[in-house]
Amino acid sequence: MIAEDGFALQCIDVEKSFGSLTALNGLNLEVLPGERVALLGPNGAGKTTLVRAICGRVRLDKGSIRLFNAPAGSSKALQHLGVVPQELALYGDLTARENLLIFSRLHGLRRREAIRRVNEVLEWIGLTDRANDLVKNFSGGMKRRVNLACGVLHHPPLILLDEPTVGVDPQSRERIFLMLDELSKQGAAIILTTHHLDEAEKQSDRIVIVDHGRVIAEGTLADLIEQTVGTRRQLVMQIYKNNFFASFYTGASESNSLSRVESEVLPGFQYQTSTGGWIKEIDDVAQELPPLLEQLRQRGLVVADLEIRNPNLHHVFLHLTGKELRE
Amino acid sequence: MIWLIVRISALRLWHNKAELVLTFVVPLVFFSIFALIFGSRERSGETATIKVAVSDLIKNDDSQKIIEELQANGTLRFVDADSQVLKDGELKLLDPKVCERLVREGGASVAIVLEEGKKEKDSQKSTVSAKLLTDSSDQVAPKIVSALVQQLLVQKSVAALAKNPQPMPPANAPALPANAIPPATPNAVAAVDSPAKSPFAFTLPEVKTIDLVGGQKKNPIIAMYASGIAVMFLLFSVVGGGGALLEEKENSTLERLLASQLTLDELLMGKWLYLMLLGTLQTTLMFVWGEVVFGVELSKHWEGFLMMTLVTSAAASSLSLFLATMCNSRAQLNWVSVVLVLGMSALGGSMVPRYLMSERIREVGLLTFNAWALDGYNKIFWRNLPLQTLWPQLAVLLMIGLVFMIAARIGARRWERV
Repeated sequence: MIAEDGFALQCIDVEKSFGSLTALNGLNLEVLPGERVALLGPNGAGKTTLVRAICGRVRLDKGSIRLFNAPAGSSKALQHLGVVPQELALYGDLTARENLLIFSRLHGLRRREAIRRVNEVLEWIGLTDRANDLVKNFSGGMKRRVNLACGVLHHPPLILLDEPTVGVDPQSRERIFLMLDELSKQGAAIILTTHHLDEAEKQSDRIVIVDHGRVIAEGTLADLIEQTVGTRRQLVMQIYKNNFFASFYTGASESNSLSRVESEVLPGFQYQTSTGGWIKEIDDVAQELPPLLEQLRQRGLVVADLEIRNPNLHHVFLHLTGKELRE
Repeated sequence: MIWLIVRISALRLWHNKAELVLTFVVPLVFFSIFALIFGSRERSGETATIKVAVSDLIKNDDSQKIIEELQANGTLRFVDADSQVLKDGELKLLDPKVCERLVREGGASVAIVLEEGKKEKDSQKSTVSAKLLTDSSDQVAPKIVSALVQQLLVQKSVAALAKNPQPMPPANAPALPANAIPPATPNAVAAVDSPAKSPFAFTLPEVKTIDLVGGQKKNPIIAMYASGIAVMFLLFSVVGGGGALLEEKENSTLERLLASQLTLDELLMGKWLYLMLLGTLQTTLMFVWGEVVFGVELSKHWEGFLMMTLVTSAAASSLSLFLATMCNSRAQLNWVSVVLVLGMSALGGSMVPRYLMSERIREVGLLTFNAWALDGYNKIFWRNLPLQTLWPQLAVLLMIGLVFMIAARIGARRWERV
């Protein structure tokens, strides 16, 4: 079912407004077959509208969305698409097997094939022994697995997952990721929307950040860091002087010390009020840190705590959107 | 602490508008409906909208006078052969067979057939006697008409007696026998077969009451009420079943269904078909139970039953989908359906027989789904009418189903692509 060439997903100049609210504002996005893409964006960025548009559930004002060259919402496009919604969109008063059978038939599998696939999938999600239990009696993690399975029963070459691990325990989360890895190995393109930055980092080949209805940055994590916050490490220190805490919260009462430390001992450092620490960006930890520590010791200053921060997706996100991911 | 619990409960009720409506508004609505049903007759003086057909086989002065007095009585509305109500003062005497047909078909509640009674002593002139053809599905009208006719006939006899006085009975004459008094109950074939064998020349007039419709039935009342109950429960279960759509909307299953190969049209048709089959099965089960336990004659009328049940279930399913597409939540649907189903059942005759209602309320009742369904079932089970007579009910219910289905499809557009 996977296309030999072309894009798994192609969004071209997509625009959609609801009244005065612009949800998608000239969004462009391309996903290759087999590619894993994490879709990030603060609340209200347009992610949900984009997800619904990919499913063919939004009438676009402008632009087009194509799945394996078929217009979104068309029968062919829907055949290529597997959707795993954030909500547990299952029939709780049916068994796991009945749910899976229903969704496989809704995705166009013939009865015999559907039964075979359901048995395979039950084994895959580790619920063969609970196949005939009502879904409403399952744990959150088990429900999530059934939710995922219902979306991929028909071997879609493009899978759209909207926060697939919300509210699950770490073990179930890990299991879901293993399942996604398997799907990826089978050649499916995966689009994952998430609020977990670590998920985005680990589960994707490419990260796409959406804000104000358009893609504001995309690339690998390294690309994004390079393009935004840069690769320099952040050195954060808590410093004492002569057994006296010298983190200089206010500066006023310790003005002499502050002035001396800032000007003579800690050139290039910046004071961070929120942590009460001093921050400096350095290029090479091995080269630059030892002489700096020696300098402090010679001046009678004690380093109470030291942290080296690598730039990560969180910094990138904050840099690009000015918001925390959940804002 | 106790007061705190009271406060929590009151606050929760305040925030749950649906429950608030069910608690305080619905009782007022139903109070009003029943007040309209029972109260309007008294207020408007409409007690008397009993449709009667009249046949005069004697056509003499006495019978003419009796008919005139019946006409003058505001309790009765005379009908013609097509069961159309005649204007005040207008009269169309009908053939007894036409009268019988009208009663059997429900075109008239009672038919009065005036016929020749016993000859008056020492006179060539016959007394007037009356035969009442009744339909005991209406348990009030035959009693009222019987009493009226009886009164007029007695008055006539007394007047005749006054003109032609008879000798007083001896002081030791025996008392009137018990069967000299006409029976109070008009059910079945109840009649005073012969005038009292009294020592007087005066004879009591005859009023023979024949129950044309219910007289042959094993369990007449059950046959009539089974459909009323069945239709009300059909509405409750089918309308509640439509709420599954809203449940699917609320937990995003609908979104998932529509992101599959399934179209909205297929989804609605699937829901409609399921609800129709569910309603048919439920009603069938009820009538089968009615036949086994209470003697409802289902197997004798299965074709008509099937036709009415399929069409009624189809219309109820469409109504259910329409309501589901109009409501925003399952909670909202619940209270809307409770109000609507109970309201329609009350006005449409599932709760209170329609013959107890005033003409105006009966007309309003025709706007409800129940009235048409019950009329159809009554034609089958009560009146034993042929299948072709069901066409008005079938046509109206099909039309209701079609209109609600179209409205539901329009309402469901909000679930389509936005």
